[in-house]
Amino acid sequence: MNSQASFLSAEKTLRLSVVLVYLAACILPFVYALERLQYVTGWSVFTALSEFSSQSGAMKALKFTMLESVASALLTVLIGLPIAWCLSKYSWRRVRILRALLAVPFVTPAIVASMGFLSLIREDGLLAKMGIDLRLETGLVGKFAQLSGWEHPGHFLALILAHAWFNLSLMIRFVEPTLSTLDPRWEEQLSLLPGGKSRFSRMKHLWIPVIGPAVMCAAALSFLFSFTSFALVKWLTPNNDTLESVMASAGSSAGIVGYRIDSSEVVYSVAIVQFIILLMTLWLTSTLQKRYTKRLSQLSETNVRNHHGRPTLAAKIVLLVGIVFTILPFVSIVVSSFRMREYSNGISQYEWTLAGWKNAWNGDLSTMPVSEAMSNSLIYALCTLIIALPIGWILASTIFRLEKSGWSKTSKALDVASMLPLAVSAIMIGLGVLLGGLRWYPQMFNWFLLPVFPHVLLTVPFVVRVMLPAYFSLDTSFQEQCRVLHLSPLQTWFHSTLMFLRGPAVVAGSLTLAFSIGEFGASWLLVRSGSWDTLSVVVDQLMGRPKFDPVVYPTAMAAASILMILTFVLFLAVERFRESTDRSGF
Amino acid sequence: MKSSLFISAIFLCSTLSGCLTGDLRSADDALDPCEDTIPARDSDGVLHILTYDIFQGYTNEMIEQFVNQSGIEVEIIRTDDAGGILDQMMLTKSAPQADLMIGLDNTYLPTALKNCLLIEHSAQAENFTQSSMEFYEGPLAIPFDEGDVCLNYDEDALSNANMSVPTSLWNLTEPQWNGKMAFPSPITSSPGRAFLAATHDYFNHQPGNESGNASNWWKAIAENNAIFTSGWTESYTTYYTGGYGQYTEGYIGGAYITVSYCHSPGVEAYFAENYTHSTSLTLPRASFHQVEYAGVINGAAEVDAAQQFISYLISQDVNSNMPIYNSMYSVLNGSEIPENNGYRYHSDITPRSSYITSEMIELHMESWLEEWTNSTK
Repeated sequence: MNSQASFLSAEKTLRLSVVLVYLAACILPFVYALERLQYVTGWSVFTALSEFSSQSGAMKALKFTMLESVASALLTVLIGLPIAWCLSKYSWRRVRILRALLAVPFVTPAIVASMGFLSLIREDGLLAKMGIDLRLETGLVGKFAQLSGWEHPGHFLALILAHAWFNLSLMIRFVEPTLSTLDPRWEEQLSLLPGGKSRFSRMKHLWIPVIGPAVMCAAALSFLFSFTSFALVKWLTPNNDTLESVMASAGSSAGIVGYRIDSSEVVYSVAIVQFIILLMTLWLTSTLQKRYTKRLSQLSETNVRNHHGRPTLAAKIVLLVGIVFTILPFVSIVVSSFRMREYSNGISQYEWTLAGWKNAWNGDLSTMPVSEAMSNSLIYALCTLIIALPIGWILASTIFRLEKSGWSKTSKALDVASMLPLAVSAIMIGLGVLLGGLRWYPQMFNWFLLPVFPHVLLTVPFVVRVMLPAYFSLDTSFQEQCRVLHLSPLQTWFHSTLMFLRGPAVVAGSLTLAFSIGEFGASWLLVRSGSWDTLSVVVDQLMGRPKFDPVVYPTAMAAASILMILTFVLFLAVERFRESTDRSGF
Repeated sequence: MKSSLFISAIFLCSTLSGCLTGDLRSADDALDPCEDTIPARDSDGVLHILTYDIFQGYTNEMIEQFVNQSGIEVEIIRTDDAGGILDQMMLTKSAPQADLMIGLDNTYLPTALKNCLLIEHSAQAENFTQSSMEFYEGPLAIPFDEGDVCLNYDEDALSNANMSVPTSLWNLTEPQWNGKMAFPSPITSSPGRAFLAATHDYFNHQPGNESGNASNWWKAIAENNAIFTSGWTESYTTYYTGGYGQYTEGYIGGAYITVSYCHSPGVEAYFAENYTHSTSLTLPRASFHQVEYAGVINGAAEVDAAQQFISYLISQDVNSNMPIYNSMYSVLNGSEIPENNGYRYHSDITPRSSYITSEMIELHMESWLEEWTNSTK
């Protein structure tokens, strides 16, 4: 009995410590950074807010950010909904593989996605060959620009297309479970009633109420991720700034006493405005998610799929287009890494070559060799996994315990607090660590493992989001049976909890690895303080180099290919440990 | 519940931040490099070099050669550009991360000197060009490459549009140039900053009522829909029609003129088998002679290693290769741009660069930048 009491006490202490350390790690850098910006600018939070419109380029950036985020969310719905609909309605062969393929963009490093879409819109790229010239805006796109009077729509279209590609899996993740478990008799019965005769009325009375919240939830998250997107905006719309890119470009000179005060003012104002918008979006997402959760699970998925039968030709075409859309940027990157521009009498041609891969691997042109950057990325990812997974797990279990013990409000508060890093974006986290950390202990910028800190902050919310539903679906009777059998607390935890959470833990782990390897914004800000470039940063550095020398471009594409392969290999390696019947997470 | 928590989060941060004054506030500002001795960073036996990430002078081969010759290990810390180097040095001035700075140009050097961010080097500036030593001859920084920043224009585009080559910067305010110019921002770009300085000298030496009209000119070209970008790369590769940007992704085009170097057409030709349709506009005083420097950082741990690297960088073998490795001129007398592929042929020589001194930069740059921001809003 004593051992049980001491175990419980130790467990409580561990929980409390983890929660406190996590909350401190989330809040303190930002409080310090905010204080530093206040000190440098002499502004209060309210002044920063009121001075937002007078900051150079801030209003323009806000308008563009809102426009591209709303457009990206709408396009995600437009592309994702038919795919999710078709995937969930029929009995597909190898549905697990299809689902995994469509989920791949979400774990793809943002810089790889940028390179993929850049290579797709190049002059000899597939889209240009199809007559969709998003780069030089000739043909269809040119006509559209002429008719609409919209200057340079091509790059904007490429950006929202890339965001839709990135967020496609969100739509599938939210809509598919609802549709694939919905009792098909509902539609059949409704079609017999006067209010369900037409397709439109069925849409109004059945589909919108059933999948509406799920679609809105996915759209709200797409908006959130598009709003804080950095790498894609940086590379696909170089003529426009978002709030995130404004902060990134002013960030390196912000927070320095007596130097470039304008930068501190911009960062301060923009950060506050972005923080408020992101908090509101998270609140909206959370509200929608509640409504969505209430409508889940009507019948077994297999029964519903069998009822609808084999997919129709139209469904097959929709899914094929979806898969091709998903895979295309990856293929394009690899192809581009083997093609180099050659000049002959002023005419530019392309030739096949391995020069890009050789340069990337050897680190020519003064860039860190890919092999070295890869080892940095791997070390950071593994360290992030080792730290973020247990923290997220403990946070999720604490939220669950609090809820079950009647501490509902505290549980909800902790739930919201665990999401805070999502409300401050990667660039804001990087800036928080940079400015806050510098204030607290400047020598920390000599630490090789410094980028692990923002990576942990950015991945813990995902671990919590994957583990929490799993905790709520645990069957408590197993725990009671363990107690009846007089198993020790550790054995009880092992048999009644761990065994059932292996699947979600693997999902959380693989997401953590993938997100850490692909993380760009915070690393981009922080590794400039050291010399420990990650693969994402190396790809960006290569692409940012003057391309007088034609080998620069295939080198960047080769580095992006390596990053892409590394992410997928790690993701799939971890996924192997997941049970084939387990559908938790992505 | 959640909304109130969200709002509380903002106010919690602002309230807490108000409490953190006093000792914590001044933790990293406690040491002023001009008044206090900056403690050297912990020595790890590795020479840390702070430079910009487009500096191509350090190929693995060159670093290896230095390492083999000296036995000193080297690690490079890269920033975006010269401005990034200064930002980084300012940000970490009381706890430096690097021993050696390579890449601050003469528009940024005065700020570094004013803030005492550099200490004396021991290298001898022998056989250096006069132009490289004109701006700064002191012991805190040494030039390693140079070149003239000036306007570049697309010959083919002008010819196709029946436009004449500008003979004055005022020509760019005419309707035919509406929306056809791209300029890197002097706030975030070193060529942009160099060109801003040049425009002040240019208009200060124009006869009659044009004198002192740099701000009016910037306002006029902003009204003529000039495109302003954050860096050289965006101006040159995204908008300029005369450069290699047209072959790269993300290209938009539309700008027939932009800011680059007078020898950029030569670099274009060198990498494109003696082909370019870009040329430079060498109006007197409308270019800026840019000199890039190396210097030992105040608070460096590996001072001797840094000194050795500077000597290596300005040695004949290494420095004469600057036109190839860093697309800039060597600072050594007798070193020329290579002739092959039209590099030298297409590299224009400006008849007269603007005359901007270190004192002028130190005295006026802040107000020039402020005026520029107001003029181009």
